[in-house]
Amino acid sequence: MKRVGVFVCHCGTNISGTVDCAQVAEAAKDFPNVEYSIDYKYMCSEPGQEMIKKAIEEHKLNRIVVASCSPRMHEPTFQNCVERAGLNPYYVEMANIREHCSWVHPNEKEGATEKAIDLVRMAVAKAVRNQPLQKTTIPVTDRALVIGGGIAGIQAALDLANAGHVVDIVEREPSIGGKMAQIDKTFPTLDCSACILTPKMVDAAAHPNINLLTYSEIEKVDGFVGNFDVTIRQKARSIKMDVCTGCGICMEKCPVKVDSEFELGLAKRRAIYTPFPQAIPNKPVIDREHCTYFLRGKCGICSKLCPAGAVDYTQQDELLTRRYGAIIVATGFELFDYSVYGEYGYGKYPDVITGLQFERLINASGPTMGKLQRPSDKKEPKNIVIINCVGSRDEAKGKSYCSRTCCMYSAKHASLIRDKIKDSNVYVFYMDMRTPGKGYEEFYDRSREQYGTQYIRGRVSKIYPLNDKLIVRGEDTLLSQPVEVEADLVILATAMVAQPDADKLAQKIGIGYDKDNFYTEAHPKLAPVETHTQGVYLAGACQGPKDIPDSVAQASAAAAKACGLLSKPEILTEPIVTEVDEKTCAGCGTCLLICPYKAIDLKTLTERIAGEIVERKVATVNEGLCQGCGACTVACRSGSIYLKHYTDEQILAEVNALCL
Amino acid sequence: MGTMEQLTLQLRETAREILESKKAAAVIGWEMGTFWYSTAPAILTRPEETERLVWNEYCLNNLAKYLLDFQNTDEKVAIFARGCDYRGINRLIQDKQIDRDKVLIIGLSCPGMKDDKKARELGQNADIPLAKKCEECTYPDALAYDLWVGEPKEAAKPAKAEAKVFPEVESLEQMTADDKYENFAANYEKCLRCYACRNVCPACSCRECIFGNSSKEWSAKANNLSENMFFALTRALHVAGRCIQCGECERICPVNIPIMLLNKKIIQDIDHLFGPYDAGLDPEDKMPLGSFEFTDPEEFM
Repeated sequence: MKRVGVFVCHCGTNISGTVDCAQVAEAAKDFPNVEYSIDYKYMCSEPGQEMIKKAIEEHKLNRIVVASCSPRMHEPTFQNCVERAGLNPYYVEMANIREHCSWVHPNEKEGATEKAIDLVRMAVAKAVRNQPLQKTTIPVTDRALVIGGGIAGIQAALDLANAGHVVDIVEREPSIGGKMAQIDKTFPTLDCSACILTPKMVDAAAHPNINLLTYSEIEKVDGFVGNFDVTIRQKARSIKMDVCTGCGICMEKCPVKVDSEFELGLAKRRAIYTPFPQAIPNKPVIDREHCTYFLRGKCGICSKLCPAGAVDYTQQDELLTRRYGAIIVATGFELFDYSVYGEYGYGKYPDVITGLQFERLINASGPTMGKLQRPSDKKEPKNIVIINCVGSRDEAKGKSYCSRTCCMYSAKHASLIRDKIKDSNVYVFYMDMRTPGKGYEEFYDRSREQYGTQYIRGRVSKIYPLNDKLIVRGEDTLLSQPVEVEADLVILATAMVAQPDADKLAQKIGIGYDKDNFYTEAHPKLAPVETHTQGVYLAGACQGPKDIPDSVAQASAAAAKACGLLSKPEILTEPIVTEVDEKTCAGCGTCLLICPYKAIDLKTLTERIAGEIVERKVATVNEGLCQGCGACTVACRSGSIYLKHYTDEQILAEVNALCL
Repeated sequence: MGTMEQLTLQLRETAREILESKKAAAVIGWEMGTFWYSTAPAILTRPEETERLVWNEYCLNNLAKYLLDFQNTDEKVAIFARGCDYRGINRLIQDKQIDRDKVLIIGLSCPGMKDDKKARELGQNADIPLAKKCEECTYPDALAYDLWVGEPKEAAKPAKAEAKVFPEVESLEQMTADDKYENFAANYEKCLRCYACRNVCPACSCRECIFGNSSKEWSAKANNLSENMFFALTRALHVAGRCIQCGECERICPVNIPIMLLNKKIIQDIDHLFGPYDAGLDPEDKMPLGSFEFTDPEEFM
């Protein structure tokens, strides 16, 4: 005998402001199998949950319908509640009368109440058919993978390692450090970036629980939460890492000079190089695309000079497969390519540079040893223009979003310039100033008041060279006047964009990404560092533009989530997975092809047909891999694969309750 | 010159040789039917039976589906195959219903078959037009085979699908929604739900069809317009992306419903959305609705 209890929540006034909750509860009393029905202000609160537990006991309820918010919000809450009352948690069915009803029909009270009654009617029909489901356990491998060795990756790895978990950091560049290694000083404190980052890099390298896999990339990700089998390509470095002492003689004598990626084209590096002097590991790598030996088969100077005999031209890429319990993706960002902007010279004027190039120019360890000079003629610039929102907040040519960091780093740049060159003038063209962070507004104020930066609200319409100057034309929209500045140097605050291959990595791991290729969190508030793939977490700017404090905070959050997963030997799995009806499965394999999680396989079934033993293939689901998306259930023509808790029978019962 | 009579002799000879040498346990072909304009599929297992085989202008049946009768045997089966049979065989291989190594394909070149209904109407001396499905045929020959009967053929070039535009789909698209509905209703009011279209279809190979399984509650057995339309749409979607355009469903329909219209509409849409695709050319190809790319169009989402 099914005895259903219906609990209608007001959600304060979120629901009851539109829906007549008492009327809904009253109407529910007449639905088949409903034994008890009541409304209450906050069903999720302690007294609300007590009310449910008491009703279960008093009215011998065995199916519970909660009409409230989205199940994404509080399904676990009510599942736990009925479990404590002795019922299977999957006997709870939620009717979403908030997101699906009161919030979308704020001006139609009567209609909304009617709709809420229908939603409850459907939920009751389904609840009656709900089956008890049991969670199962799967083992967890106590090892984490951090993809990306920038500040976010390093922080996440350190937190995990300090909690006692073994961590591998995979970094595709020859050194860890990421973008932060290129930055001079950090806002809002103006402390030196390297002073924060490099000790952390050393900590990571020296930590007994951390393994660095630099110059390596993710090749393939198989498996599922707790048991990801990841294949990592360790690119041929052409250096024997265990032999090299990092003395650097090889780099001094290499005859090849190419633009340094780290110095953003402002300086040269050799074909055998470390990206920067504080690189970790501080051992070089041979750039095979430019190395004379690899191009012409001759040279070999580095090999001859190396006192340790560490140069090995025959090294090959190596593939390494390891099992991980959790993955933290911290692959960071790239800078927007501003060459699409004709008004800023299509990237052709040498004295129009990006903010990150400026960081190198003002950096004590940069190509000019921190002496600010313009790239074209090495002169000290006196008039400097900074342009904000280059590529940000510009749907026509760039990105629709705000890059979040530019207002602040422009203020920082202005302050640094005025600090170094006392008689300089710094003009910042901005659209809006956005300084929402602790100490940020004060920092912006200081750049104006203490450092005398001149802020001009408006966009720049054109930059053109005149003699050795750059004429910057724009409009001061506050004064409604055209402005023209004779500048020596122009710095563009270019947008933060996703890594160019962010989508490909997401496809390998099986996580989502948005229209701009930033990775999607499972929920902005309920699960901000989780992805929709269990066991994969996000840290730093790969999820969206972020400054250093936010990246570090998110990295620690992701590490905490991964710790929660890795600290147990096994985890419970969601029983809402698909199951195959082997009796009718034709083994056509369509479900295999369309499963985005590779959770389905074919197996051979032996059975007796008309007295003969015959073999046939049927589909079988790996419950660890299945995420319960249900794509296979739709593709199966004979309806032989079904999603537990959302079976055809249950869904049709809802449809019938509504339509018949 | 291989007239069809001469070819019939060759067919018999080939089949006899296969059965005698035990290259296959059975041969699937055609034999004469009740009338001069009818043939029936023949499944032969003894060499002396091969005299029954014919190859004439009324071999209308697609033979592929009869391979399913041998699903549970380990023996090899030989089958005569034109383009449409060949695509049907590939359909079953791709749907994992039969193994390629268990099939001996005897390739044929098809001149196009005649319309048996017209033949009955007009009589033996009249000029009988081609069957509709043959008029529209784009692959008359088997594209790959183990044996070949008929004039020796040059090695077939790998077939490549081209984007298709069907005139009847185009004129359907011109209709208003109301007219479309009326047209659809008029067609399917007639449906007897005899399921002959399903039974003849090489893309219908479920162990248990959902229309035979009332426990799933998807459809009722009642023969009314609503259930008929539900059946028609469901069937069209179940064969979507897999229909080999053999036209057997439409040919066999006892109440002459233009069943291929829905199939063609879907084929044309798939060509447009995912690029030209002809089902059953290669069992290894990627089915447009059985695979996904992250770059797939999703304007409908």
